Amino acid sequence: MSIDTDADTVIVFILIVVFSTLFHLLATYLHRFFFLPLVTTSPLKPSSSSSSSSSTQTSAVVAARSSSLRNSSTITTITTITTTGESPSKKRKPSTIAARPSDSSSIQGTSASSSTSSANQRSSSSSSTSSPSSALPFKVLPVNSLENSFARARDIEEQKRRRQASKTLNDTDSMSTDSHNNLFANAAIGSSSGGIGVGRAGPRTGTPNSTLVNGAKTATVVRRTGVQGKQPIKKLVIKNFTVTPQLPKDYELETWKVLQEAVRAIQESRPVPTSLEELYKTCENLCHQKYADSTYNRLKAEVDSHVRTVVESLSADQTEKEPFLEHVHRAWTDHCRQLIMIRSIFLYLDRTFVLQTLGVSSIWEMGLELWRTLVMSQPEIRSKVIGGILSLVDMDRTGDAVSQPLILSMLRMLSDIHLYTSLFETPFLQASWSFYHVEGGEYATKLTVPEYLRHVNKRLKEETHRFEGYLDKSTRRGLISAVEGEMLQRWSDNLLQKGFEGVMVAHNLADLKLWHDLLARVNGLEKLSFHFGNYVKKTGKALVIDPTKDDTMVEDLLTFKQGVDEVVSKCFNSSDLFLNVLKECFEAFVNIRQNKPAELVAKYLDLRLRSGNKELSDQDLESTLDRVLILFRYIQGKDVFEAFYKRDLAKRLLLNKSASFDAEKSMLSKLKAECGAGFTTKLEGMFKDMDTSKDIMVNFRASKMHNKIGHLDLHVNVLTQGNWPTYPPAEANIPDQISQCQEIFKEFYLSKHKGKRLNWQNSLGHSVVKANFPLGTKELQLSLFQAIIVLLFNDTGDSSLSYKDIRQQSNIEQKELSRTLQSLACGKYRVLVKSPKSKDVSETDEFKFNKDFTASLTRIKINSIQLKETKEENASTNERIFQDRQFQVDAAIVRIMKTRKQLSHTLLISELFDQLKFAIKPTDLKKRIESLIDRDYLERDKNDQSLYKYVA
Amino acid sequence: MGLKIKVKRWHTVAFWEWNSIDSSEVCGICQSPFDACCADCKIPGDQCPLLWGKCKHCFHLHCISKWLETNNDGICPLDRQPFEAAT
Repeated sequence: MSIDTDADTVIVFILIVVFSTLFHLLATYLHRFFFLPLVTTSPLKPSSSSSSSSSTQTSAVVAARSSSLRNSSTITTITTITTTGESPSKKRKPSTIAARPSDSSSIQGTSASSSTSSANQRSSSSSSTSSPSSALPFKVLPVNSLENSFARARDIEEQKRRRQASKTLNDTDSMSTDSHNNLFANAAIGSSSGGIGVGRAGPRTGTPNSTLVNGAKTATVVRRTGVQGKQPIKKLVIKNFTVTPQLPKDYELETWKVLQEAVRAIQESRPVPTSLEELYKTCENLCHQKYADSTYNRLKAEVDSHVRTVVESLSADQTEKEPFLEHVHRAWTDHCRQLIMIRSIFLYLDRTFVLQTLGVSSIWEMGLELWRTLVMSQPEIRSKVIGGILSLVDMDRTGDAVSQPLILSMLRMLSDIHLYTSLFETPFLQASWSFYHVEGGEYATKLTVPEYLRHVNKRLKEETHRFEGYLDKSTRRGLISAVEGEMLQRWSDNLLQKGFEGVMVAHNLADLKLWHDLLARVNGLEKLSFHFGNYVKKTGKALVIDPTKDDTMVEDLLTFKQGVDEVVSKCFNSSDLFLNVLKECFEAFVNIRQNKPAELVAKYLDLRLRSGNKELSDQDLESTLDRVLILFRYIQGKDVFEAFYKRDLAKRLLLNKSASFDAEKSMLSKLKAECGAGFTTKLEGMFKDMDTSKDIMVNFRASKMHNKIGHLDLHVNVLTQGNWPTYPPAEANIPDQISQCQEIFKEFYLSKHKGKRLNWQNSLGHSVVKANFPLGTKELQLSLFQAIIVLLFNDTGDSSLSYKDIRQQSNIEQKELSRTLQSLACGKYRVLVKSPKSKDVSETDEFKFNKDFTASLTRIKINSIQLKETKEENASTNERIFQDRQFQVDAAIVRIMKTRKQLSHTLLISELFDQLKFAIKPTDLKKRIESLIDRDYLERDKNDQSLYKYVA
Repeated sequence: MGLKIKVKRWHTVAFWEWNSIDSSEVCGICQSPFDACCADCKIPGDQCPLLWGKCKHCFHLHCISKWLETNNDGICPLDRQPFEAAT
């Protein structure tokens, strides 16, 4: 039967104890009264109890059959079930607590014996049996089969009843003996738990007229067989023992001698004379006979004396270090082996007496304790062991081959006897610190930085794996921090100064990663980022500051950026710390030179977006744009960038030089995402103008007015002034034919868009002319100015035109004219011939058209010098940028003064530098302040000229 | 034999301006130049035209319509006379 809850188990258990005690007394009384022969399992002859008994739980059924009784067809059965007590702590199911009131027929007699509290007198018996057959009126069933049959018969209903019964028992705890007996009569109790032995006898399939043994009241049981009345009634008389069995006087001593002999044999590594099973049994019997305490003490004394001999042999050992450790190791492993063996023999003692008694340590613990107090308390042995281990570890570190298992065994010994922390840890850590102190000092100077880092990493790995599994976590941490502290932290600054730049220049990603990981252990990332920042700043500054490198600056910066990005992502885990440092440093050095980087970035983009860059695929172009944009992000002078970008974009759009409209649009959207819609409004306006112009031209061509211009392919881009860069007015006398066409278009446009007027901007146009040279007809692609000049030579024949003539007829501004003439007469394709021949154009030159002009191509593009950026153009762009910035400066001044009311000149200037995002010269600031004073925003203090006051 | 040159293609550029207005003048309402658009628009041009009143005052169309909507008097903001658009 299984009990559902622990509480139930406890209750039942208590009941069983109460019952068994009561019943035991009853049984004893019965024996005495009826002179029943008492059979005991003699503790003196353990082997006779059961040869097949298992080690821990033995249930022996000793059935003594009296043959004489059998002869008279009566069997007296005395059953003793001895259950060797398991440790009470071990939970065991009270396997059979059977209250079987309904099954009264089967139970003829029960007997219970207690073997715990009264170990000495632990057998009892009662007997009464039924007669299942005519031949054998009494039959004995072994317990097991009984239990089995019980189990079969059990059902849920019975369990419930049993629970009911146990409850009833609980309720009637204080009932009289009589009531107990009555209850008992209905209950067959069988249990092998908690040292309670219950004997049961009697077949279940009993005779119909079986009777119950009812405690003390029924002294004799009169049995009737099935053929009642035909046979004479037989009486079974039970008589009690007259003498209680006694132990031999020298029982304990003699028994111990056997055990002692065995222990000594083990300790001296001799074969044990007695069989181990017997030894175990012997120990068990001793315990049962209440000699556990003394046995334990004797055993302890035995081990003690043996350990002392070990101590002597160790003390006598004059060897040092490894040989000595080997000796200790052997002694220790022997000791452990012996302890295990001894413990196995004395297992019963270890499991019962030791567990139940406070203040007694288990045999194993006792052995270790003795080792600790006797062996390791010897100062000589102790210091030799510790010193030996340390020197072995030292040798291991310096690369000498040492027996790792020996060290491990020693450490295991120390931790087993709880001396690891107190004896070993501190000296070990101290030794480690000093070892790495020396090594750090030596190697940091001897090795190159990457080598040193790799060495440190190696050391860290070694120390992490040292004594894997034996080192306490705290020790390992201490050990690692010894390496980190002495080899890394102490030298981190030194190393960074010495080798960081070199590693960065070499772009050695593995070393950088290692460096990062190592410094991360010692909170050195700040330092690393500092040096990283310095390197970035220094290298970047070198790229930016040199005007001779302007042509390749952006390309170099992009390559550099890619490199450091790779370092940050692959080596520095893309941590925010480094990303921020990178950002700051780029911002710092890119803006070292005012405006120039912004200008160059814009130009770089122009170069990429302009047609003729066929080497870039769309994808490459896109990624290039992205990379440039990152650079652009760092630039403070976004207005400078915008101005130059706008100018270049205008050229690309108007001269139809854009490589890809998609790329332009994508760049625009990128800029929009980066700087907001305000930044790109004008750029978008430019695209819009181009689109509307296309529509206008489509409408124009469809209109009747288009017929008037003949075969001329006229295309006009009508632009909104504000969106585009401002261009200086470029006067020129347009040839009549063209001029008329332009006027027709103008008419058309104004008819569609009332309230507007059109201003021609000649410098932005281009044209294609067909020229019949004597040696062949060519199509020339020219700027408008070039076209105007070339058209002057129409039908001139061989006569030449002077510079002045040309100037007069074309009305082109002088510088522009010179440039244009130069492009026509001194370039790759010379449409005009200049005399005298020279590279530059002067005002006294004469020009003729080139009769011998020839070229392999039919279509020729004559590059105009004008398309290239001029100094003036650059200056004007910069000027305009400054103009735009003036408003920002004015606003900032007013903002500051409005809050401060009055401020000295120097303070105002410094505040302005803080507020303004672009670099500006103090003189320019001063001009703005003066201008504001003129406009009555500010005034000077009457007494102090350097003090400004805000005029409300 | 002389050089014969014939123009095949002529691509040129023109900037448009609002007629009869000095480009530096500003709209009396939004204070933006007439060249630029009103505060609500982004791109100047046909989407943001100007409107002349009979009083010869000129505003962005969007600006003056907004003004006339919010001011029931329907007066020109500059001379406080009833505003009438010049055709």
